[in-house]
Amino acid sequence: MIVNLLSRAMMMSTPLLFGALSEVFAERTGVMVTAIEGIFLMGAWAGFTTAYISGSLSMGLLFAALAGLLVSILYAYLCVSLKQHQIVTGTAINILVAGLCSFLQRVVFGVPLSPLTVEPLQKIAIPLLSKIPVLGPIFFNQNILTYSVYLLVPLGFFILYKTSLGLIIRSTGENPEAVDVSGINVSKVRFVAVMFSGLMCGVAGAFYSIGYLGMFTTNIIGGRGWIAFAICFLGNWNPIGAFVGTIIFGLAEAFAILMQSSSSTFLPNELFIALPYILTIILTISRKSFNVPAKLGSAYVKEN
Amino acid sequence: MEKPFFELKDISKYFAKVIANKDVSFSVNRGEVLALLGENGAGKSTCMKILYGLYRADKGEIFKDGVPIIIKSPKDAMRYKVSMIQQHFSLVSAHTVTENIILGNVKGKINWEEESNRIQHLADKYGFSVDAKKKIKDLTVGEQQKVEILKALYLDANLLIMDEPTAVLTPQEIDNLMNFVKDYSKQGNAVIFITHKLKEVMSVANRIIVMRNGMVYGNVNKEDTDEIRLSKLMIENSIEELEKPKVDELKKEVCVSLKNICVKEDQEIPLLNNISFDIHKGEIFGVAGVSGNGQQELCMALCGAQKINSGSIYLNNKDISNLSIKDRIGLGMAYVPSDRHRYGLVMSMSLAENILLKTSYSKQWSKNGLIDKKKLKDTTNGILKDFRVKASGPFAIAKELSGGNQQKVIVGREVENCGDFIIFDQPTRGLDLGAINNVHSAILSEKEKGKAILLVSTELSEIFTLCDRVAVFYKGEIQGIYNTSDLNSEKIGLLMAGYKNEGESING
Repeated sequence: MIVNLLSRAMMMSTPLLFGALSEVFAERTGVMVTAIEGIFLMGAWAGFTTAYISGSLSMGLLFAALAGLLVSILYAYLCVSLKQHQIVTGTAINILVAGLCSFLQRVVFGVPLSPLTVEPLQKIAIPLLSKIPVLGPIFFNQNILTYSVYLLVPLGFFILYKTSLGLIIRSTGENPEAVDVSGINVSKVRFVAVMFSGLMCGVAGAFYSIGYLGMFTTNIIGGRGWIAFAICFLGNWNPIGAFVGTIIFGLAEAFAILMQSSSSTFLPNELFIALPYILTIILTISRKSFNVPAKLGSAYVKEN
Repeated sequence: MEKPFFELKDISKYFAKVIANKDVSFSVNRGEVLALLGENGAGKSTCMKILYGLYRADKGEIFKDGVPIIIKSPKDAMRYKVSMIQQHFSLVSAHTVTENIILGNVKGKINWEEESNRIQHLADKYGFSVDAKKKIKDLTVGEQQKVEILKALYLDANLLIMDEPTAVLTPQEIDNLMNFVKDYSKQGNAVIFITHKLKEVMSVANRIIVMRNGMVYGNVNKEDTDEIRLSKLMIENSIEELEKPKVDELKKEVCVSLKNICVKEDQEIPLLNNISFDIHKGEIFGVAGVSGNGQQELCMALCGAQKINSGSIYLNNKDISNLSIKDRIGLGMAYVPSDRHRYGLVMSMSLAENILLKTSYSKQWSKNGLIDKKKLKDTTNGILKDFRVKASGPFAIAKELSGGNQQKVIVGREVENCGDFIIFDQPTRGLDLGAINNVHSAILSEKEKGKAILLVSTELSEIFTLCDRVAVFYKGEIQGIYNTSDLNSEKIGLLMAGYKNEGESING
């Protein structure tokens, strides 16, 4: 049962990590992608719809990423180019996307009598490695997206701390003026970081529809975009921290699913469903170290 | 004849409709230190930011060695080996020296060890004692400036532009900087030195460009000029001579009295220890000392923002030690704070609103329960006129004004609200000569009205010109109270450094 739980935790943490990791990059440049919940949802819808119509999950993932990118471009245009307030803009986009997805769902599928489904992403057992007792099923019998996370965390860390690009990203969130004086276009850095976040969060959203459930409902994301957003804070704007954070939330979610499916009546099911959200609040309060980018959330206005 | 190293020709620049630069032309040669002299807002920084690619000129050309060049961004400027050190350093304080210097100047994977060794080597070569691995926030301001210079050297700059580089340095650091500038220019490099301090110009520059109102008003060699001629070029209306009004010694009665004030925080060394003095009506009482020796706490304690642990404060024989800030304002205490951005003004509000701010609860501003707009407007207009504030009107936004004009607004407001006692905490810090002159004459006219004045200043010349008596502060204690006429700068310097001359001080 423990192995099953951990294996599921790895899986459930995957989309959160896609979201949190890309949020780390965007926030390090000084932009909070508060449209993250909407981007997740857009990705979930686009991924499902494309996969259902084309019959190809790869096409679904591709279009999910593109749909996420599209929403992020709108957000970046408003917040980076037009320098609008990040929280207000993000909230507006989240509401817009929620309405848009239920509208589009109706337009494309009408009101079906039975729920529409696709076959979700299959787990790929890695030969030999997946046969290792305990570790094998946990780490080496996952779907393609979970595997890619193993690469993304060290890669993200490497880029952020060991490369010129990472130095520019980190400096932009701390002191955009210094970046500007060094001859680097601050808006461009921020715009691209938000676009990157859009791509990743689109895929993260698709994980819920076609990577796991095989269906789409308008409340499929249910605040998980916001959890990824919170994990970025909790992980102290560090890829490794984000990884640890997502594992904790993945565990909580896996635990909730486990309790739902078991017939235990020891505690109400709803408590476990609420667990990740309660955890968010508790961890936010109890976090100690602060690494918050100095200029997070404020637009860079340059006289010209 | 040899072509100049860099040349600006007919550079014009407008912000909205305000002229920042108009037909600015001058050049700089190799091996030369060029001073760009002018008051705040004369357009010195603007034309240098154009040369560095931070601003785009609306008109005009730039030449290097006689060849026209186009500089669109700092990247272009760096390609032409131009570096600029901003007045407010543009460093990432959470990052290390190395990270700051290589920002944007390296590609791909960074070998941190190699890079920081290289920078350390460069720092050692120029005798800069800076640790390449330290974080900027752990460095002093002087060291931070060295990091900025190192960044220019790292890029092999041949033209170094420095915007008000001495404003934040100690006298010794200034000497070191001047030596560096001289050495660096001797190697065939050029330096453009933006400043409004005449003394520096005379000590370091070979040639001087004087700017006023966005235009060039003079281009002179150092040998052909002196400080007085330069100041005349620099300032539109020449400065009025200040005369200290004589107040009859005997008429003086005590207005403010401090008795054994102590301020402590967290059991540590007291911030103020046993401070006692009186200020008479019509007296300017100076507080001298190196910044951070308790002056700030003294002002805060007097205005009521800082709780005192023991002792008492009397205003006109009334004990005000436990009164709130608001009550003290009501009794006629006014306060010009040293940090005008933090404590003086709300930058995003209009001047009229800022004037209202400090006495907003007062009935004088209300009419039928609403703000008496007309009265507020008239009062503000009066202040703007009296203090010669350059602003578009009473509803101009505070942050649109230059520092000097902001300070005049604060001084105007405090003088307006002042009953008997007014505190000036470093009232001329960062101001140019014209504004300093305005503030000084305001202080003297308050004295003439018979008000008690406390003047905190780190500028000794200010203390000597204005004050009747002065208390020297050192580590939260009074080193002694003197008649200004009994002191010279050497003596006061020793007191400020903590040496006490027994038996010479007069009683407060």
